Amino acid sequence: MKIVKILIALVILALMAWGYAGTAHHREHAPETELNPKEIIFSHLCDNYGWEVPFSHSVKIPLPVIVFGSDGLSVFSSGKITGGETYKGYRIATDGDFKGKVVQDTPQGEIRPWDFSITKDVAGILISAFIVILAAFCLRNWYKKHGMKAPRRVPAMLEFVVEFVYTDTIRPIMGKDAPKYGPYLLTAFFFILTMNLLGLIVIFPGGANLTGNLAVAMVLALCTLAITNLTGTKHYWKEILWPDVPMALKCPVPMMPLIEFLGIFTKPLALMVRLFANMLGGHMVVIVLIMLTFIFTGMAGVAVGAATSVFSVLLALFMLLLDTLISFIQAYVFTLLSTIFISMAHVHETE
Amino acid sequence: MELFKPEFGLVFWMFVAFVCLYFILAKFAWPFIIKSMEDRADFIDKGVAYAQEAKFQLDNAQNEADKIIAQARAEQNDKLREAEAMKNKLIEDARSEAIVEAKKVTDAAQVSIEQMRKESEKQLKQEVSEMAIYIAEKILRNKMENDDAQRQLVDQLLSEVETNN
Repeated sequence: MKIVKILIALVILALMAWGYAGTAHHREHAPETELNPKEIIFSHLCDNYGWEVPFSHSVKIPLPVIVFGSDGLSVFSSGKITGGETYKGYRIATDGDFKGKVVQDTPQGEIRPWDFSITKDVAGILISAFIVILAAFCLRNWYKKHGMKAPRRVPAMLEFVVEFVYTDTIRPIMGKDAPKYGPYLLTAFFFILTMNLLGLIVIFPGGANLTGNLAVAMVLALCTLAITNLTGTKHYWKEILWPDVPMALKCPVPMMPLIEFLGIFTKPLALMVRLFANMLGGHMVVIVLIMLTFIFTGMAGVAVGAATSVFSVLLALFMLLLDTLISFIQAYVFTLLSTIFISMAHVHETE
Repeated sequence: MELFKPEFGLVFWMFVAFVCLYFILAKFAWPFIIKSMEDRADFIDKGVAYAQEAKFQLDNAQNEADKIIAQARAEQNDKLREAEAMKNKLIEDARSEAIVEAKKVTDAAQVSIEQMRKESEKQLKQEVSEMAIYIAEKILRNKMENDDAQRQLVDQLLSEVETNN
């Protein structure tokens, strides 16, 4: 049985190499285009106005474009502009500061309107949120229906994760504050986890590089920042503005208070950068590994490229498995650190 | 490098989505899920504690029963021994009482026998002495018909008295 599976895998890999060799041979007759790895990588990682379907660059699932330009609100399908057309004065810039973004042509030149489009990333976020809601309500409905019975199948898996995050992590750290902040932390955990995992699936509804986008990670970190500082106790602020250190460190020059004050912002910044960099890095490595095939083809011909494809796919597969692990770890680390930051803001004098 | 420049639209939608998700889940899902999980954990803990208590009590019950049985047995033995002792004592008492009683009876009988013996002895003595006197009278009447004999007798008697004194 094992041997059969390995054989099937090898046959698939061989077919891929052969198929690639075929297409590459076919392309040799097409007008040669310069391979630009950087552009390809970032076009995969960046936001888009449409959602590409597999095996085609031209067919895209259209998404709504919502822009607030000089002539007021405009809502139209992205299918009207992704081909490079101009619609109602709006088009996607091909170069300049706003490359790849919707711009509006006005008499004063091109301007960037307020862009509330449901882009690929926004759609991905909404899909993730929907999946999280489905998951949470799946578990909730199990309890509603079955009461004290232990969950089976999907609810059991979800319960295990909730137990791991809430009972084993949040509650020991937060103590009596756990029921108050648990929902936020659990929401953050499941949302990040879903976005991470969806980012690893290459076809719709996955494939959007969500948590590897600074905007997404930033919003998450800002929420933790807001909760930490808006709910902080008096003692927390006293520790920042007038910490228990020798007077020389805080009186003439407020060195320690300054450091503590910067700490307010560096903590969520670390959260943001950690999540963002890990996920972006994971995606980038997979794309680069796959790109190796094409780079080697360009350098040494079709045969070498075909041979490389086997190795690059195996390595990419390994990286994807690693990314699955990282997806979980990063979601957990974000939640764990948020828990610690929030609980640190709830210190009391007596403790 | 678009990835490093947070796009306003994306930030806006992300924030909206996250906040909505938070409020929906915090209102309808998480508290209920957490409560259910904790309730179940408590329930299981209680069940385990109850089972342990029951087992403890069961074990204890066995011990207690053994203890009670042992106690009962000891008591039984005590009672039996006591009864035995009482029986022996009763028998002993009865025996000694009987002996005393019998002794009393024999003593009384002996006393009365002695008395009767003494009485009959006395009576016999009297009768014998009366008869002796009668016989002596008769003999004397026969003998005193002769004066010599009278004198001889008086002399003999006088000598006898003299030797006695």
